Amino acid sequence: MNWITPMVGIIAAAVAVPTLVVLYFLKLRRRDLEVSSTFLWKKAIQDLQANAPFQKLRRNILLFLQLLILGGVCLALAQPQIKGQTITGNRHVILLDRSGSMTAVDGQDSGSPQPRLETAKKQAIAFVESLRDGGVLSGREASDEAMVISFDTAAEVRQQFTSDKALLKAAIEAITPTEGPTRLEEAIRLANAHKPKRVIEGNTIEGLTAGLPTNLHLYSDGRIPDAIKAKPAPEDSLEYHRIGRPESANIGIVGMRAAREYDNPAKLGVYVSLENNRPEARPVDVELLIDGTSAMIKGTTVAGASEEGPRLSAAGAARAGAEEADAVSTTGTESAAMPPRTLRPGVGGVVFQLELSQGARVQVRLRQPGTGQPLENDVFALDDRAFLVVPPAKKIAVVVFSDESNSFLDIALSGQPLSRLVKVATDEFDDWVRLGKLGEFDVIVLENWLPPPGKDGRQADLPPGSYLILGQVPGGSLGLKVTGQVRGTGIVDWLRDHPVLRSVSLDRLRLFESPRVEFEPGSGAIALAVSQEGPALIEASSLGVHALIVPFNIDKSSWPVDVSFVVFMSSAIQYLGEDVGAGSTIRDVQPGQVLSDRLPIGAEQITLKLPTGETQRLTPAADGRVTFGPLVSTGIYELSWVGPAGPTDRKDGNTASRGYAANLSDPFESNIGAVEVIETGSRVASASASSSSVADKRLWPYLLLAALAIIMIEWFVYNRKVYI
Amino acid sequence: MLRTPTPTRPKAVEDLIDGSLISKLGPLDLTSRKVFFGKLKGERRSKKRGESVEFADHRAYVSGDDLRHIDWNIFARLDSLFMKLFLEEEDLSLHIVIDASASADCGEPSKFLFMQKAAMALGYVGLVNLNRVAASVMGGIGPNHIRDLRGRRRTHDLARFICSIEPSGSFSFKESAERIVMSRRGKGVMLVFSDYFFKEGFEQGLRLLVGRGYDVFVVQVLSPQEIDPPLTGDLRLKDVEDGDLAEITVAAPLLKRYKANLAAYCATLQNFCARREMNFLTVRSDTPIDVLVLDYLRKRGVVR
Repeated sequence: MNWITPMVGIIAAAVAVPTLVVLYFLKLRRRDLEVSSTFLWKKAIQDLQANAPFQKLRRNILLFLQLLILGGVCLALAQPQIKGQTITGNRHVILLDRSGSMTAVDGQDSGSPQPRLETAKKQAIAFVESLRDGGVLSGREASDEAMVISFDTAAEVRQQFTSDKALLKAAIEAITPTEGPTRLEEAIRLANAHKPKRVIEGNTIEGLTAGLPTNLHLYSDGRIPDAIKAKPAPEDSLEYHRIGRPESANIGIVGMRAAREYDNPAKLGVYVSLENNRPEARPVDVELLIDGTSAMIKGTTVAGASEEGPRLSAAGAARAGAEEADAVSTTGTESAAMPPRTLRPGVGGVVFQLELSQGARVQVRLRQPGTGQPLENDVFALDDRAFLVVPPAKKIAVVVFSDESNSFLDIALSGQPLSRLVKVATDEFDDWVRLGKLGEFDVIVLENWLPPPGKDGRQADLPPGSYLILGQVPGGSLGLKVTGQVRGTGIVDWLRDHPVLRSVSLDRLRLFESPRVEFEPGSGAIALAVSQEGPALIEASSLGVHALIVPFNIDKSSWPVDVSFVVFMSSAIQYLGEDVGAGSTIRDVQPGQVLSDRLPIGAEQITLKLPTGETQRLTPAADGRVTFGPLVSTGIYELSWVGPAGPTDRKDGNTASRGYAANLSDPFESNIGAVEVIETGSRVASASASSSSVADKRLWPYLLLAALAIIMIEWFVYNRKVYI
Repeated sequence: MLRTPTPTRPKAVEDLIDGSLISKLGPLDLTSRKVFFGKLKGERRSKKRGESVEFADHRAYVSGDDLRHIDWNIFARLDSLFMKLFLEEEDLSLHIVIDASASADCGEPSKFLFMQKAAMALGYVGLVNLNRVAASVMGGIGPNHIRDLRGRRRTHDLARFICSIEPSGSFSFKESAERIVMSRRGKGVMLVFSDYFFKEGFEQGLRLLVGRGYDVFVVQVLSPQEIDPPLTGDLRLKDVEDGDLAEITVAAPLLKRYKANLAAYCATLQNFCARREMNFLTVRSDTPIDVLVLDYLRKRGVVR
């Protein structure tokens, strides 16, 4: 047996029982009278120990009856329940959006503003309250079951199907907001996965579900970019409970980037893009903070949102038309009268130019114009700030491991504006790795050579860094393998938009001899250029290793004599160098993702400082890999360790640190107005009665409380009467 | 039942016994179911053959007998000497015991005043009939006994003694009975006035009193309030003697049970007395003294 509201019962008992007994004692305030002998009286009342309180209580049947009633009432208030066989009624799945946009403080159509997630939780709990219980006395009636799933980028089952409302409510209460974007598809898949499987002749049939249709209840603001991918099962119903107001205003940072000038790396440009989701243009101050101190404020005006073209589905358009027609005939609430139209957010941007040669943690935040205060009339504070980790400015340093002298490569590299260019014999590679010297260089070029495979014959993973690998194909976690040699091929196609190949024509490139490369399943490698026989230029990255791979020996191709070779080398060095240089895209993470990186070999005592100020101890894998996540909040995550530092890491004595910026940077989340209609892959759900949820409220506890009060009053009145 | 707020205390014999009562008591004399030997020649027939005027028997003359008691008429007719035997008339010892505990001083009219008056009336009857009168007090403040009073002129001594008793506190009935038994002389009639509400029990005390052949009259005096309590509401009753508390809520069932208990208690006392040849009498303290003496006690053979 468990208790739904044990505290209520305990409090009621703690108040009522002593009061009743005290009232009983009040009654005992007696008149004193001297008599010749108490002898016969004592005999008469058989009350030999008249002073003991419980002796006094002994014979008072009225008090005992009242205590019995009181006990029953108090127990009832604690709502005891016992586990018993129930028959399942309707099944509900509560899908609760906990993404960043749900932290917007605009509340509901009525009532004081509060975070959307709180509103959603309240509505969900009210819904849970309204679930049908089994009959109180019969026990044979079906009771409803529900399941709780919370989702942002990932979905999580908070509570399996149950009819225990206390469990459901506790699961809903425990949901906390994250600051990540929204993905509905996984949540719907999860809901479908938890439906009972259909069993035919004792065999469970995957993919077919049994039982009554499930009602999906989606508590969200509808800012779900992948809604169309989510496919609720055809027999299930989807009810969309709109949280938040459609007309809520927000200006947010949807993107931020920093870049150093090519010829003057000390000049840093920070590009901030803003979006405004309301039709009115709005002025806003953008404040730039370098390492926590305000460095610059720029004012700008973000254009108002504009009407978008017909983007509605046929069903949605029909519904919109119908609602428009309704709106003419009835004067309902604004939300009912407004057809679901889609506004394209107004776009604005700010560029900061500043001299900053060292690395920095850059923060940008939006301010009310002229005041320096947080934005007014902006319900969503999460996207009013963004973070960047800018590495120090420097020209690119390149090390070439090669046994060849005076190659075409040397010629191509010597003309580059590099800070350092070092050529090292390949047999020194292991020493360099051991001494941590690789970290001093931004780009590592391996010319026709790879570190030899380990004792087990497997190609070991390369140490962390950016590599340009010529004439060899590394295996390991990059997911590449050579299946043979081909002769005499040409380039068929290449990615013309890729930064490395942007101004390169490979039409005339002939490969006299080239390995045939295949990607292993799950490999993240992409072919930048494809020959008749397979990938000819490859970009591959695996934790900490970013490599551009030219599988063929350039000496056995026409490339060195082609102008495209020099251009490619320049672009590749720049691309790989920028990777860790000014671009800093690699250390951007989004809440909901997992933070994963490789640290230099030998890093110890690794701690991760979260934006909240907490620190976490991390243990690296053998290859220096550390992972943490999924991330919950936006801000700067600072990884620090004792040991060698990478080229872009901050170094302070023996301690090195590396920052990661987590930003929401999601236009979908920033476009904060709640959506009226959600279009999933299989159906369109429009917002249900959103402002107030109707739920069955049981009145018997209040009646019990009233009964309790009446008993107390009755006893009090009775005592007054007797006392005269 | 309730303590008498301002008890009236008799100051002199006039307060205890008035003229009309004296005139009513005049013809009375004490009797006893038992006939005892007295110490002095009195007005009471004794078992001893003696010198009174009442003839008892004859017996043969033996040498040395008093010649004055020879029945000369028999000698004239039968020519033999017979002695005329007469009943000896002796005095009767009357012992009056009064309960002077605080509980006796309760009730309206006061039980103690009633006991004082009854004791005085009976003492007066004893004195005027030349009986030896003694009085003892159980508990209380003041002299606790007076004895060997005889004759009408000692009436004032008795009255002074009775008036000097001030009821107070409690006492042990058993110990008081022991003291009385040790101090009394001869045999006779003993009247014990009390309410008999002894928490220690009355049995041991009464057993002591009756042990030496006294003709014991147990007079239980109850106030009207004890018989029919005029109580209502929630009360804390305090025993005037030992301060013991009893918390009661007066209701019809409780009163009923109290009365039943009282009746049962009196019946127990009466049965105890009957088994030990004691006379028992329960009187209300509002009973007139002449009714007590002339009616109740006469019916029970204390006076005639």
